[in-house]
Amino acid sequence: MKISVDRTRCEGYGFCEEKAPTLLRLDSDDELEILSEEVGDDQQDRARLAVRSCPVAALRLEE
Amino acid sequence: MLPPDGTVVVVGASIAGITAVEELTARGHTGPIVLVEAEVSAPYAKPPLSKAVLSGAAEPESASIPLAESARIRRVRGDAAVRLDVAGSTVGLASGEPLPFDGLVIATGARARTVADLGGNTSGLEERVLRTLDDARRLRDELRTASAIVIVGAGVLGMELASVAASMGIAVTVLSNEAPLLSQCGPFVSALVEREARAHGVELVTDPSGVTLVERGGRLAARLGSTVYEGDLVVSAVGDRPNIEWLAGSGLVCLPGVVVDSRCRVTDRIVAAGDVAAFGSPPRRNPHWSNALDQARTAVAALLNGDEAPEYLARPYFWSDQFSLALKMGGHTPFLGEPDVLAGSLDDLDALVQWRRDGVPYGALAVNRRIAISKLHLAAGNPTANII
Ligand SMILES: Cc1cc2nc3c(=O)[nH]c(=O)nc-3n(C[C@H](O)[C@H](O)[C@H](O)COP(=O)(O)OP(=O)(O)OC[C@H]3O[C@@H](n4cnc5c(N)ncnc54)[C@H](O)[C@@H]3O)c2cc1C
Ligand code: SF4
Repeated sequence: MKISVDRTRCEGYGFCEEKAPTLLRLDSDDELEILSEEVGDDQQDRARLAVRSCPVAALRLEE
Repeated sequence: MLPPDGTVVVVGASIAGITAVEELTARGHTGPIVLVEAEVSAPYAKPPLSKAVLSGAAEPESASIPLAESARIRRVRGDAAVRLDVAGSTVGLASGEPLPFDGLVIATGARARTVADLGGNTSGLEERVLRTLDDARRLRDELRTASAIVIVGAGVLGMELASVAASMGIAVTVLSNEAPLLSQCGPFVSALVEREARAHGVELVTDPSGVTLVERGGRLAARLGSTVYEGDLVVSAVGDRPNIEWLAGSGLVCLPGVVVDSRCRVTDRIVAAGDVAAFGSPPRRNPHWSNALDQARTAVAALLNGDEAPEYLARPYFWSDQFSLALKMGGHTPFLGEPDVLAGSLDDLDALVQWRRDGVPYGALAVNRRIAISKLHLAAGNPTANII
């Protein structure tokens, strides 16, 4: 499973970081950084939670 | 308490209901789930409906809320829950089907309140509101050809509507009984938004006597004081009401919403989350996105683990796009008095500011700043999450 962000949509709300801090982080300029594009088996629930919590649907998961 | 293989019925498939479904899986529930939704549309997020979807900058499909397919999740669409039998642990659907449950998540949210609900629609005509995807599509199409609109209500939603319409070159009049966002956010934010609104050509008319809707030439018009305002479109944005009618006769306390305990429970088998739930003392609804996420997760943990689950920690947070302002607010609104500037500058409309009472922070506002939600919570004096 892979996670990606559409940068034109992401508005830096940071909900995703809160739900999956091991995968996603807002950097010091509060730009979203993908820490790990590849989502491990034990991270899949968190990744889904992160994707769903984004109010502008900027994140995408590919199985 | 709910056995891990028990049947869970979730009523309402928006952000609270969908979050509850995924949280059940994440917490080891393996039984059947029935997710009931009155609307026919696939689940969608509401915040973009008054922003990018309304302006046409984003397609309505982009607002969808994804939910992984699973054999144990049955999805009912276009059929509403109309009854709850607490003693018999059964939800009744409009189609007549009974749905027995071991655990129930009430996530039926809210709908738009109308001027008629407030007793002020004497026109005999139906009001226009913005709450659902269908509302947003219709309004988007109408804004494309409108040259003047009248918005009733200067709350967060009314002013977002005004922002979008003004950005499309439409003449906008906002009628209200108080200054923009005043009771919700306090005088500082109100003045900020009012200044922007006027700079963008919006006509704001405030009069505590309240708006009445009247009919003029077969169309809806709005009267405030002695003036009648007409436009291509009159839209009501006067708050929301919880969807609780289906719980009449259930014995649940539903005022001002479904009243829940410190873990979002109504009974040990029934929980409620999101816009429909009323929490705290006195119980209050908190109809915002992040609240729906946090409450749904707390509620499911309590359904599965009872008193061992963490209590709900209120961490108020919401955002709004107003004209050239992207606002993010954390803490306990309304914010009173002048804030301290923590970063940036208010003159440049790029700042993080903070309100304190007796030296203790209770509110923060980010203006046109990308800021991690955790940092905003910190500046706002909100507690650290206990349910990540
Ligand atoms: C236009 C708009 C813009 C917004 N912008 C923001 C924002 O910028 N920031 C922010 O924090 N919040 C915003 N909000 C608020 C946020 O969207 C809500 O807090 C959130 O949607 C609440 O989710 P919920 O799942 O509790 O309820 P809802 O989203 O109201 O969903 C409830 C669901 O239950 C269904 N339902 C109701 N009754 C029944 C029944 N009897 N049987 C079956 N199904 C039923 C409904 O059809 C609906 O799908 C906005 C809301 C709107 C309308
Ligand atoms: S929640 Fe969405 S908008 Fe916010 S930082 Fe994550 S991807 Fe960006």
